[in-house]
Amino acid sequence: MTNISISSIIIYFQKIRRNLSSNLFNTFLSLVLLLIISLVCLNTFEWLIFDANWKVVGSNLPLFAFGSFPSNEHWRPAIWIISLLVISIITLFGPKWKWLRKNLLMAWISTIPLGLYLLYGGFGLTPIMSRHWGGLTLTILLTTCSSLLSLPLGIVLALCRQSSLPLIQKLSSIYIDVMRAIPLIAVLFFGQLLIPLFLPVGIEIDRVWRAIFAFTLFVSAYIAEDIRGGLQSIPKTQIDAANSLGLNQYQIIQLVLIPQALRIALPALTNQSIGLFQNTSLMAILGLVELLGVGRSILANPEFIGQYIEVYVWLAFVYWLVCTIMAVLARHLEKRMTINPANF
Amino acid sequence: MAKISSSDLKIMRRLVSGIVGMTILLTGCASPSQENSSRLDLIKKRNELICGVSGKIPGFSFLESDGSYQGLDIDICKAFAAAIIGDSTKVQYRPLTAAERFTAIKTGDIDLLSRNTTFTLSRDSLGGNGLTFGPVVFHDGQGLMVKKDSGINSLEELANKSICVGSGTTTEQNINDAFESASLPYTPIKYQDLNQVVAGYLQGRCSAMTSDRSQLAAARSGFKNRKDHIILKDVLSKEPLAPASDGQDQKLGDAMRWVVFALISAEEQGITKSNIDKKVQLANRNPQLKPLRRFLGIDGGLGEKLGLSNDFVVKVIKTTGNYGEIYNRHLGQESEVPIPRGLNELYNKGGVHISPPFN
Repeated sequence: MTNISISSIIIYFQKIRRNLSSNLFNTFLSLVLLLIISLVCLNTFEWLIFDANWKVVGSNLPLFAFGSFPSNEHWRPAIWIISLLVISIITLFGPKWKWLRKNLLMAWISTIPLGLYLLYGGFGLTPIMSRHWGGLTLTILLTTCSSLLSLPLGIVLALCRQSSLPLIQKLSSIYIDVMRAIPLIAVLFFGQLLIPLFLPVGIEIDRVWRAIFAFTLFVSAYIAEDIRGGLQSIPKTQIDAANSLGLNQYQIIQLVLIPQALRIALPALTNQSIGLFQNTSLMAILGLVELLGVGRSILANPEFIGQYIEVYVWLAFVYWLVCTIMAVLARHLEKRMTINPANF
Repeated sequence: MAKISSSDLKIMRRLVSGIVGMTILLTGCASPSQENSSRLDLIKKRNELICGVSGKIPGFSFLESDGSYQGLDIDICKAFAAAIIGDSTKVQYRPLTAAERFTAIKTGDIDLLSRNTTFTLSRDSLGGNGLTFGPVVFHDGQGLMVKKDSGINSLEELANKSICVGSGTTTEQNINDAFESASLPYTPIKYQDLNQVVAGYLQGRCSAMTSDRSQLAAARSGFKNRKDHIILKDVLSKEPLAPASDGQDQKLGDAMRWVVFALISAEEQGITKSNIDKKVQLANRNPQLKPLRRFLGIDGGLGEKLGLSNDFVVKVIKTTGNYGEIYNRHLGQESEVPIPRGLNELYNKGGVHISPPFN
């Protein structure tokens, strides 16, 4: 037994040696690179553990999580974020109970009204204005609301673009092309600065919702193109087959086209939602105190001036964590859909 | 203060102000007729003041760990709320970027702007941004910071030295003008934004760095050994920072103006948060102290003329203290962002703050 493991280790090391030091120059190169990498790692760890002053993160954790949400109501956004986490875990580990699995989609969709209820309050909870929303809560709210709104809009736009009616087809392609030709920051500026000017006095749309609408309008154009890719990869013969089975137009779209197109477009849609999550940080320069905005406000506190690196490293970690969770979830979903496509 | 925002914002602001200008032109004809009632009444009815702030400037407005806003700009908002509503907690702070601050006033998104805004002609005039400015609450200006052990004490001693500066800003222009008019040679070392300027200065790439004095002080309070750096006395530009409101609304503008003057006047008369009650008693007992009685609202009915309560000065001083107290709390020597008062002293102590009489 030990012999085998020792010889396998020797083989392993020989492999490394062969790969890294086939001749003198390569050996030299390997050593230098190894030295540089270990130096960088060492310095980074030394900074992370000894030099960095993590008090700026530690004493502001509630701010990063909830912004200036009143502190005696912190449990509300906390419940929402925890419920999102729980549903993610349930989705990942695939529950055995069938009823739960069946209702998972409904659970995901219902997190948004739940979140809005918990944040806005009313019906028994103290109402809280959206100006108190902030931090990770606001970032997640922007992402979930915008993606939930833009998916149906994107599907409709993709279908319209495939439509045989020239007016509808032209209009939706113009919309998609225009939206894709405008940078996101311009759309967001439009939403934050110009919409209030166009509205008559007295009518006011909340700035959080203005941001959500701007993101929705922008992302739906991209989603439409992703879904169009999915639609186009479905063979025409399937539509003919569905026709001959006597399905009407809507049934074909609902039962044949959309499910398959969504499955094909899933990796691209994941990309969009992760991109959307990261793009919400643009709102920091437009005056919303979401995750990045809170970080910038905290850096102006005289107590924490100059601790840029700590704050930005921490923010990078949080963004990485959430994006990774999203990516893992999407990969899991993809796997489940390809294993048993008939289930869908 | 233009230089507060990063340089990319500047470009966007230019772009946006173009678009905004066009939009105002387009909507100009359709804009609803000015209502007769002032926003002052609206604020009272709403029982809440909406104050536009930055939220990202050390010493002026920033987020405290408990989620509340603090700073000099914030205290000005509190003073307004105390004067108009009678309760300094009834303020809604709206963090605004430099780009959206004027639109926010024009659209009625906010009542007052207390966000490090430089008072200029084009912002004040009807043909420009159409705002009206209150009295200056902080005289900022471009300054220079050097290391103490360099022995440099004035602009002249910086001849032939290198200076770290943010590129493409008015800061760069001002330092150039200053050295050119003194016909001194120098080497500018340009960086994209203030953080890089600070980093370059700390790494010793230049003998001095330049920015607004408030920013220099803020940057310095983040240094490990802040005592080793000094801000030179030379001031290269004028950046008078003042609160602002909609220029169409004279009633609100007047109230704003006199609340700030009340803060300054209280300092002139030595009325502070701690002795205000005694001063009120004193004024009540002595009918011959006419100016004090008028100031504190016992005689004269001055507050009513502004649409405020007569004792608005008492309410304001009770919540924030006088101007000097506000300054010392956030920018004084004991604070975390110490800035020498300089121009911000009272007129009789070498500064420029002066209040017209409360008559």
